[in-house]
Amino acid sequence: MKVNTTFVILLTVFALVISACGALGPSQPVVMRVGWAGSPDTLNPGAAVLSEAYTIFGLVFDTMYQLQLDGSFKLSLAESVNVSDDGLVYTYKIRDGVKFHDGEPLTAEDVVFTYSLYQNTEGYPWMGDYTYYFENMEATDNNEVVITLSEAIPNIDAQLVFLYVLPKHIWEKEDAVEFENFAMIGSGPFKMVEYKPNEFVHLAKNADYFGEAPKIDEVIFQTFESQDALVQAIKTGQVDMITEMPGTAVATLQEDPNVEVVNGAPFAPEVTDIILNQVLPENCPPDDGLCTGHPALLDRNVRLALAHATDKQKIIDVVLLGYGTPGTALLPDGLGLWYNSSLQDYAYDVAKANQILDDAGYVDANGDNVREMPDGSQSLTFRINWPSDSIDSPRIAELLSEMWGQVGVDLEAQALDPDTLTAVCCPAFDFDVIIWGWGSDPDPNLLLSVMTTDEISTGSSETGYSNPEFDELYYQQASELDLNKRKETVWKMQQIVFDDVVYIIPFYPQAVQAYRKDRFTGWILDQPKVELSDVTSLVLVEPVK
Amino acid sequence: MTQGRRGGENLPSLLPDPKGLPLNRYRYLLKKISWSVFTILFVLVLNFFLFRILPGDPARALTKDPRMKEEAREALRVRFGLDKPVINCFETLTPIKLGDCGVNPFDTQFFIYIKNLTQGELGISYKTNRPVAQILVERLWNTILLIGVGQILSIIVGIAFGVFAAWKARTAIDYSALITGLIAWSLPTFWLGIILLFWGSNNGFPIGGKATPGISTYPLFYQIGDIARHMFLPTLTYTIVFMGEYMLVMRSSLLDVLSEDYILTAKAKGLSTFQILKDHAIKNAMLPIVTIIAINLGFTVAGAIQIESVFSWPGLGGAIFEAVESRDYPVLQGAFLLIAVSVIIANLIADLTYSYLDPRVQTG
Repeated sequence: MKVNTTFVILLTVFALVISACGALGPSQPVVMRVGWAGSPDTLNPGAAVLSEAYTIFGLVFDTMYQLQLDGSFKLSLAESVNVSDDGLVYTYKIRDGVKFHDGEPLTAEDVVFTYSLYQNTEGYPWMGDYTYYFENMEATDNNEVVITLSEAIPNIDAQLVFLYVLPKHIWEKEDAVEFENFAMIGSGPFKMVEYKPNEFVHLAKNADYFGEAPKIDEVIFQTFESQDALVQAIKTGQVDMITEMPGTAVATLQEDPNVEVVNGAPFAPEVTDIILNQVLPENCPPDDGLCTGHPALLDRNVRLALAHATDKQKIIDVVLLGYGTPGTALLPDGLGLWYNSSLQDYAYDVAKANQILDDAGYVDANGDNVREMPDGSQSLTFRINWPSDSIDSPRIAELLSEMWGQVGVDLEAQALDPDTLTAVCCPAFDFDVIIWGWGSDPDPNLLLSVMTTDEISTGSSETGYSNPEFDELYYQQASELDLNKRKETVWKMQQIVFDDVVYIIPFYPQAVQAYRKDRFTGWILDQPKVELSDVTSLVLVEPVK
Repeated sequence: MTQGRRGGENLPSLLPDPKGLPLNRYRYLLKKISWSVFTILFVLVLNFFLFRILPGDPARALTKDPRMKEEAREALRVRFGLDKPVINCFETLTPIKLGDCGVNPFDTQFFIYIKNLTQGELGISYKTNRPVAQILVERLWNTILLIGVGQILSIIVGIAFGVFAAWKARTAIDYSALITGLIAWSLPTFWLGIILLFWGSNNGFPIGGKATPGISTYPLFYQIGDIARHMFLPTLTYTIVFMGEYMLVMRSSLLDVLSEDYILTAKAKGLSTFQILKDHAIKNAMLPIVTIIAINLGFTVAGAIQIESVFSWPGLGGAIFEAVESRDYPVLQGAFLLIAVSVIIANLIADLTYSYLDPRVQTG
């Protein structure tokens, strides 16, 4: 067996190589290893969609403003801003001596080039939205950018915070959509060393950074495809921090003396909602609308009773193992000052829910434990759907079925493929109840627009809710330049939709992350939002002495 | 993995017939090759339509988010060629929407797909915006490395155990080898992977990726050692799961051969058991193993989806897993094509090797 002899030799060599290289050479730089379950979809900031990509952009690129973990904005690349009295002209003064990672200076020219690129590239999914109100952009001198808006908007900071400034001398030669940007030249506190899609992102500190330079030398984001591996990696010290974990692993990690588990509102505000179809026949979209919703859901009494019959804390405990905050209105607590924290949630009270339905005439006349409409025409049997790729939703649906059953409401549960769900949802309104959710920008405008009458026919409105007072306030806040007045309006709008029980919000999910206490210290943990991989935290951390 | 289990196959073994007719041989080759070509063409067409009749509008999978503005959505459709009709007379297949039959066929999605294929282009990934061919090639080498080493190890270990068990047939050694083989073969890959992941991570083995990030600046010797350390756990998982198959087939095939008359003759000549095995039995007993190896090699390309995702190995199996999760149809379509073609080619090679080893299959 000659062949086998060769194999045996190969095998021996293989075994030798494994044992010989047990340890790598001594490494001097301080390297932080981050484990996460994702990977950036692309390093082209215009084309990217996934939050992992935005995490890397935040580290490698600069923007006019930086989003802080309390939800506020801080000037970053710009050192000062001047606003004209009519709120239309913004003059930004760029910091002196900022350099790209390749040594070229960053000037007002680069900023204007970048913003025009974002505005004019049709294949970019979001950038058109962020630059929508930019009528004119001009570099008036080397360090000065003047942005003229078509309308006075209150939140230019929330638009500019995702407009990562790119080097003109590189991007003007490339196709804006197809450019993969693997070399990723930016001007941020970290610079690209090596990127392997779906394997790792390797960054090193930018010693020439204008702001506070990182205290660590390198940071590596390593992708783990299984959550068990992620948890095991931090337990055994193969990584120093993980950005997510399955709820079931939290208890084990909390017991580990070297690991600290932290939780709080996520960096990108998130909400899970129970959508109640309440589109009125006169608002049914003429082209696409089917509007087959259950008539009982048009009655606020029914929606209120369902809210009282929903034990949110139990849902949070069962589905999220406690890592969530009971929700009131569609705007999550992650929105910081925009979140109306004064709302007093409807108490979980089955007796009260039953009373409300009894008083409103929904009684169970035929004794099948399901109530009927006051005119007896049909029973309170609702279809409930959710996207089939959601892990949490089937459990929520099961719990709702049990909770709402106690007040005589029956549910027909079915998971739907996300495309099918979109098709039945909106603007078709071919459903009764849907469990879904939103991720939000730091500005409340998007989530507020979802509840306006104008969006019923576009497919953005999921409930079909229509209230002229709310619509009026929406336009008011969209052009209110005074922060406090706008906040007051936004809070009032949340009060209105909460009183009308437009949605039932089971929870705002929390971010649960963990880091090795024996490796690095200095994380930002005293803010309402938790994001260990955020640039504001990563420039501060230092190795444990 | 969808691996064919062929433990029960026992073709009678014979030495190659030196008088095999060349004409028959060419006819046989021609038939096999033309069938393979035909199958590949069929797969090309099927693969295209399969992904067009899947539920859900591909343009919607592409845009990912309902908030996206109509203009941006349209620009993406144009970029990915989804603005063109699927094929003459059909605008889209899900839902079926009839269209103009008179359009230039070369301006339909189907012929653009065929044209791109002839140029080696498999489209652009919805998720990462990168060319699918480039993604698959990067991943393919990683898979070949991992599964290749795993295959070789499981073949060596499996065959060795199989020979040993057959040699010691119906003894305690045989039965324990048999039971070990059966257990190894029936272990759920995912479960074994997780168990080894827990064990390995507590014993200092890396549990994610192909190499330590940043290792590429180190000397080559370190790099090879680093990759070997990363390969240890996934390769071990693969070897344990797949050696069982080789072991069981080798054992039963060898037992068959050992009951043949010419072995009795050899024994009568006074040859030692070792000589009988080495010179007379093993070669003939290898026939079914060759088939299994060839077929398994075809599936190698698919990687071992479970092993690659447990150990975050950046191979094709992992790419398929991610593509399914993010509904990245172009990557899936490209991966399916690659798998189908390599399975067909591996089958062809198996057929041809077989005809060489056992000339009777040409006429039969």
